[in-house]
Amino acid sequence: MGLQHTSGDLVGNMEVDAFRRLFPLPFFERYLLESIRPDARPLSSARDTTVALGAVASADGSALAKIGYTTMLAAIKMEVMTPSLGSPDEGGIAVDFHMPPVCSPLIKPGWPAEAASVLSKQLTDVIISSGMVNLKELSLIPGKAAWMAYLDVYCLNADGAIFDAALLSAVSAFSHLHIPAVSVTEDGRVVAVSGELVEGNLVKETPIKSMRKLTLSCIPFSLTCLLHKKYILADPTAEEESIMETHVTVVLDLSGRLVSFYKPGGPVHAHTSALQDCVALTRQRVKELQKILNEAIADMDLD
Amino acid sequence: MVGLSVGEKHFIQGGIAQDLRSDGRKRLTYRPISVETGVLAQANGSARVKLGGTDVIASVKAELGRPNHLYPDKGKVSIYVDCSPTAAPMFEGRGGEELSAELSAALQRCLLGGRSGAGAGINLSALIVVEGKMCWDLYIDGLVVSSDGNLLDALGAAIKAALSNTGIPKVNVAVGASADEEPEVDISDEEFLQFDTSGVPVIVTLTKVGRHYIADATLEEESQMSSALSVSVDRHGHICGMMKRGGAGLDPSVILDMISVSKHVSDQLIAKLDSEISAAEVDEAES
Amino acid sequence: MAGKSSSIAPTTYSPSPTLKVKKKQQQQQQPIFKDVDWVRPDGRSFQHCRPAFLRTGAVNSASGSAYAEFGNTKVIVSVFGPRESKKAMMFSDIGRLNCNVSYTTFASSIRGQGSEHKEFSSMLHKALEGAVMLESFPKTTVDVFALVLESGGSDLPVVISCASLALADAGIMMFDLVTSVSVSCLGTNLVIDPITEEESYQDGSLMITSMPSRNEVTQLTLSGDWSTPKIHEAMQLCLDACLKLGEIMRSCLREATSAPHE
Repeated sequence: MGLQHTSGDLVGNMEVDAFRRLFPLPFFERYLLESIRPDARPLSSARDTTVALGAVASADGSALAKIGYTTMLAAIKMEVMTPSLGSPDEGGIAVDFHMPPVCSPLIKPGWPAEAASVLSKQLTDVIISSGMVNLKELSLIPGKAAWMAYLDVYCLNADGAIFDAALLSAVSAFSHLHIPAVSVTEDGRVVAVSGELVEGNLVKETPIKSMRKLTLSCIPFSLTCLLHKKYILADPTAEEESIMETHVTVVLDLSGRLVSFYKPGGPVHAHTSALQDCVALTRQRVKELQKILNEAIADMDLD
Repeated sequence: MVGLSVGEKHFIQGGIAQDLRSDGRKRLTYRPISVETGVLAQANGSARVKLGGTDVIASVKAELGRPNHLYPDKGKVSIYVDCSPTAAPMFEGRGGEELSAELSAALQRCLLGGRSGAGAGINLSALIVVEGKMCWDLYIDGLVVSSDGNLLDALGAAIKAALSNTGIPKVNVAVGASADEEPEVDISDEEFLQFDTSGVPVIVTLTKVGRHYIADATLEEESQMSSALSVSVDRHGHICGMMKRGGAGLDPSVILDMISVSKHVSDQLIAKLDSEISAAEVDEAES
Repeated sequence: MAGKSSSIAPTTYSPSPTLKVKKKQQQQQQPIFKDVDWVRPDGRSFQHCRPAFLRTGAVNSASGSAYAEFGNTKVIVSVFGPRESKKAMMFSDIGRLNCNVSYTTFASSIRGQGSEHKEFSSMLHKALEGAVMLESFPKTTVDVFALVLESGGSDLPVVISCASLALADAGIMMFDLVTSVSVSCLGTNLVIDPITEEESYQDGSLMITSMPSRNEVTQLTLSGDWSTPKIHEAMQLCLDACLKLGEIMRSCLREATSAPHE
């Protein structure tokens, strides 16, 4: 499981490992001097990223995203609800982010991680404010019925850049989402026709919407960078995040507009030029991620 | 936990090996059972069972509810067990919770049969009032008052006694209501239907100590167990539920042997329990 | 996890998006289960288990982990430790095993709470405690955390088998791997490794957890009405399947150690 950095003899390896554990910062700084990272990445490149759509059969839309070892499973379940009075022609999206105890040794059952609720909020903000999903598309009968999309993102393996992976899995799940076909019963109730047959009184079915997919616009993608002295490290691992504490998360949409920018304190006070570099790195990363997502969608369509 | 010296442990184990236990019983003999019915006025049925030093109370409460749409012709039963903090020092605070949950799950498995309700000791079809619309929900609660081993068998016996003590009010359904509407019902205060408990199984727990297994282990004997098998057997010798406790593994042939022994033991237990329950009901009627 | 299935033994299969399977199941609502010659919703014969896909090392920050996929039942288990016990714990010269099973909110067809499953947690503990050599890690705790990503039936047996694989991956000493298989009784038929739909109509069920090479049963639960010959038959079925599952798990572990480190 350990990152194999040098191919020296066994004794040499042990000493490097000991040095890494005892003096993590000098260890990393030696690498940084050479503009490389212990896992052989250049400072500005992200880890291998994969997206697999349709990982959960019991959900209406789902995706598994991996960035390096960080693994996220997102699934969307659709439920019919009565829209709020303020926006009768709009559906809703509820986002929840979970860090179950399987994902990291720091999380104990019954004690939800603090980070989970913070990330829930961040994810909700980005997904809603980016306007990726047109909430009007989720409407069924204005004022009467609309879809509520429950998006749950589970972190299965936390190894840094958790927000990036969570957002990637969330947008992938939305692009995989199949909205179930619905019909209206005689007494005006809206029922989904895909799932279990609803008891009895389906006297007159009026199919009002068949199975369909959402049109997604302005899909947001993000990149988290670590700031340390003059270095910028894109897509940090958990080890890097624990050693160097200042991070910046930039969220851009496909047309390059800034959706969200997040720098929660930290010992490094960044210059604007550094932040511009982060944005530039994110712009490149968005293109990569877009390509990865499109390939995943193409793979899915082939099946 | 029970604190035993090495000598005491040897004494218990040696006694079991020689078929003469510390309290003079043979390996498969139960302690004296006493049954008292109708102990709680508020419940539809209740009973208190004492098995040596183990003392448990079971109560049955019936309420009208709606049947599960998968099984419209069956009523619902839920079983919940609580361990009183006075029963043993380890039940204080939340200490009894785990044991309570384990006992509840075990009793549900033994008495309620499979998920479809087949093989349930309690006749679920008898609980139906209007098919698909209304049924009786039975809430069975067990309380462990004092614990001296073999709680599961004692609770099983108490529930059996409480059920035979249960009277369910007769319900008159108003005729003529259309199929869609909620049926109107009239619950009788005077007429009660007696519950048929002939099919309710008894639970026999065989505790393995050393190479032998014993019935109705006391707390001290349970502390020496390697594993235990609880089997619920009905009057016809059918197995209605089974579960294993304790960490050590068992050989499959030993399990089959234990099943046949527990069937044999259950015959005596059912007979004993039946006579105790009828005696208790006579007592209750006289007082 | 799912993405890097390179060389797989013939008994296992590579997971693929399962949307099509789902549709097929929905068309066959409520088959007549009690008939002698009904076909199982997924086309298996009565005594045929779902293909098992197992893989170790799903979570890199855990001491050991495993991912199991049996049909639509998908489970991930992480093992942490041996590590310091909680402060409130009393001194103990043998180790502690702490088990936790939880479900995702989207695991079953109706959106749930995604909370801990207390009954399964305690059953998992009981199934494993007889196999783990607790005296090999005194004063410390080994945590076994399981998350059911998707519930497709026979969840607990899959969790138990997957957990023992994760324990082996973590290098926790055990007497033997623990494997678990359940059988549902539907009418007169015994159906091995039931899916959710079959479980909801079952008349009885038997779950056996065993240490196959020692021929020992560590955990056993049975519900419903059974005659002795039927119990005998069902136990044989389970034990046989346990033995075979044990072989698959062993080959999975062998593959993991022989494969070059990533």
